[in-house]
Amino acid sequence: MAAIGLLAKEAADRELLGLMLGELGHRAEGAGRLEEALEFARERKPRAFLLVDGGGADAESLTRELIRAFPLMPVVVALKTRDASRAVALMRVGAAEVVAPPWTPEDLKSSVSKGLRFQGTALTAASAAPASRSPVWYALAVGLFLASGLGVASLQRAERDRAAAAARVDRWELPVRHPAGLAFDGKSLWLVEWFTQSFYALSPSDTSVQLVRHLTAETPVAAAFTAEAMWTVSADGSVMRRMRDDKMTPLSRYPKAAPNSAGLAFDGLYLWTLDARAKVLRKHLVDRELTVISTHRWRGVKPAGLVFDGRTLWSLDAADRRLLRHSLERPEDVIEGVPLPEYAEGAYIPTGVSWDGSRFWTVGEAKDGRGPARLVRHKEEER
Amino acid sequence: MRAPFLVPALLRFPGSSARQDSWGRLLKITAGGAQLSTAAPLAKGETVQVLFELGGEKLRIPARVTHASRDDDGQPLADLAWSDMVERRRLARVLLEVLAKS
Repeated sequence: MAAIGLLAKEAADRELLGLMLGELGHRAEGAGRLEEALEFARERKPRAFLLVDGGGADAESLTRELIRAFPLMPVVVALKTRDASRAVALMRVGAAEVVAPPWTPEDLKSSVSKGLRFQGTALTAASAAPASRSPVWYALAVGLFLASGLGVASLQRAERDRAAAAARVDRWELPVRHPAGLAFDGKSLWLVEWFTQSFYALSPSDTSVQLVRHLTAETPVAAAFTAEAMWTVSADGSVMRRMRDDKMTPLSRYPKAAPNSAGLAFDGLYLWTLDARAKVLRKHLVDRELTVISTHRWRGVKPAGLVFDGRTLWSLDAADRRLLRHSLERPEDVIEGVPLPEYAEGAYIPTGVSWDGSRFWTVGEAKDGRGPARLVRHKEEER
Repeated sequence: MRAPFLVPALLRFPGSSARQDSWGRLLKITAGGAQLSTAAPLAKGETVQVLFELGGEKLRIPARVTHASRDDDGQPLADLAWSDMVERRRLARVLLEVLAKS
């Protein structure tokens, strides 16, 4: 009998689905809120989770949260209203199965059962073989076999080239001296310069400057991007949400929301800030006040940057010259440390970090503060 | 190669069939067709437009159901043959890109 977690805002839904799961031979434990569900999952380690979408509950964000905390646990979503696009969106964020209303024990049974045997899609470039095979088919097959031999050799060569490229580290001197942070918007790297109160958009291919924005009223220290907005934080702790346009048009201001900020990152749901003085990571709800929902001790020496790589948070320790990896579940624990030998000689102090989807980038200030800043594209890490 | 996830697909039916949009999971994708697990029963010979994302590309490929059955859980299962040659070639290119990267 498998324990199945059940997360539904409305008690009637919990009762109905709990009964159905019970009929199917599962032990269902109901929760009305995400926190209860996470606690239950931690304690009881259920085989799967069943969520209800609708009735005031947004299963998309709940699915994300559950999968983030328990990546291997299948999540099945029961829709209160039939909506095929919604079902596909839920599956895209990680739901193993989506059950349409009206809920029946049969549908629930097959969906939960499928969720428990979750496998990936088989991908193959070739079409299925035709039922009857003509001489032409055999001739083509021989041709394909010979071509595939050449193809394998070519792929092996490509793999060798790719491995060499992945191990390469690139360095550029920048036309600025006092970098404070780095961010990536999907196309360009954004360098934050506190001394000239400027943002520089740089091309990741050759680091040429594509755009410069001066902010006369604030001293920027960090930036991060979401799909819709650019977030910046100033030396006085004010966080700004801006449009992703050339003017960086301000949308909202959150005074003193992130004091002593050394880094800013967005994980798809929450905004994270790294307080250099208190040495804490703060998790903020993106609401009117950027409410801090949790605070976590940062265990490095000198915090200098923060970035989200799509799975986990990474912080930059300027004193130890290391990148520290933090799980979203327990950010106070460092689950991995990546040394940055590029800073070993001590001529540059790392001040910002970013992630372009496959590699880390860091920016360093010359130790005497007089020479040009240096941008480093690091080698690809085994992930 | 097996992807680490099941590719979700939105199913759209021709107006003449007067059927609501539905959804499913692509269990197997090839350049010639796919195997689909879905909550909506499909019949052999039926046409359906399959919308899904692969390798960052959005695909929308008309298909014909070549075989319809039910899996061990009783859920409808369908073998699809892509019926649009242009989209089929595009899918073949995307598959090659995805497989080359893996």
